[in-house]
Amino acid sequence: MKFVWENTVIALIAIGILYFLLNKYAFGPLFSVMEKRRELVKQQLSEAAQTREQAATYVEEQKAALQEARKEAYDIIEQSKQTSSKQATQIIDLAKEEAVRLKDEAVRDIENEKNKAVEQLRSEVGAVSVKIASKLIEKEVSTEGVQGELVDKYLKEVGGRS
Amino acid sequence: MHEAPIIELGGFHLDLSIVLMMVVTCTIVFVIAKLATRNLSVENPGKLQNFMEWTTEFVKNMITSSMNWKKGKPFLSLALTLILFIFVGNMLGLLFGVVTEYHDPAKAKIFGQEITSVTSVLEEAHAKYPEEEAHAEVAWWKSPTADAGVTMGLALLVFVISNGLGLFKNTRNYLKHYVQPYPLFLPINIIEQVSKLMTHGIRLYANIFAGEVLISTIMTLAKASVVGTIMSIPLLMAWDGFSIFVGAIQAFVFVTLMIVYISQSIDTHEEEH
Repeated sequence: MKFVWENTVIALIAIGILYFLLNKYAFGPLFSVMEKRRELVKQQLSEAAQTREQAATYVEEQKAALQEARKEAYDIIEQSKQTSSKQATQIIDLAKEEAVRLKDEAVRDIENEKNKAVEQLRSEVGAVSVKIASKLIEKEVSTEGVQGELVDKYLKEVGGRS
Repeated sequence: MHEAPIIELGGFHLDLSIVLMMVVTCTIVFVIAKLATRNLSVENPGKLQNFMEWTTEFVKNMITSSMNWKKGKPFLSLALTLILFIFVGNMLGLLFGVVTEYHDPAKAKIFGQEITSVTSVLEEAHAKYPEEEAHAEVAWWKSPTADAGVTMGLALLVFVISNGLGLFKNTRNYLKHYVQPYPLFLPINIIEQVSKLMTHGIRLYANIFAGEVLISTIMTLAKASVVGTIMSIPLLMAWDGFSIFVGAIQAFVFVTLMIVYISQSIDTHEEEH
């Protein structure tokens, strides 16, 4: 083994130059890029965590909103049920009233008509009896008794019918 | 045994193969790192960027296993540089070798400079066996980490950084640890520090150097005869595979030890109190 001290000097100089060059042109940029990547990953991780948290709160909010909506819908249905039943009774009451009114009217009309008819019939009966009487008189006024009997009979017949 | 191509330049012994391999290793490491970080993207990283980020995470885990990340962050670049450099350096010696042979000291020249290591070897051999033709082989392409000077340089860098940080940033605890558990242990603790430096450098050197020695031995066998060539193929495959493993492990071990040494000397024992 030969030890040449000049080689030591050469080695030190060479390593010094190599270290300087690598540090300046290769490792410096490389380390900064690696550092940047580390930052990027860190940032993305924290972003992901944030997003997850946000999503969780959103889900909670959505759940709450859904619950609210359900409750509201139930209320509305309940309300409408009440209203409809109320309306139904109202309508039935109205209809009953109407029916009663119509019936009363009809009864009154019938009464009126009957009265009118009776009136008319009476006047007609009067006229007819006059005619009958005049005819009988025209024919023969022999037996007074028979005639009077006849008139009474007719009258009775007419009156019994009314 | 291969010689190193050393020339003398104003009293400075310049090992040309080390200079060459340093330039090649640094260039490869830088080109890989630069390609990997060319089109950086936060959200859509390319394959090379992924690889580089994987390496960075790997080194980061090594650091966090022995000190907390706040303290260890400044050493990430250094650890990454060293692990890439040592790994690429370890692998380079396995690809191929460039060896030149010299017989005549007068011809052992490059760029008009005498290759002193070769001439000295040749002259020595000539003096010993004057009747034989002297010959020397010079390896131009090898792992830079297969040289003790280089690995000791790396270890020295770690030694200076760890002890310097301990001394200036963590003075009280650092100095106290030399006299623990008793002041009597001071010499042992000093020896420990020095042995850390020595073993740190020598471990890497020895592992890689041994690998290259065995490869060159197998190559000698391959050159010897036809049977040797046939036999050398499976041997070389097995040893190359093992050397890749060893090279990766040694790069890992070197950087792990660096982190451990630094964490030991900047440890303030805050957790224990």
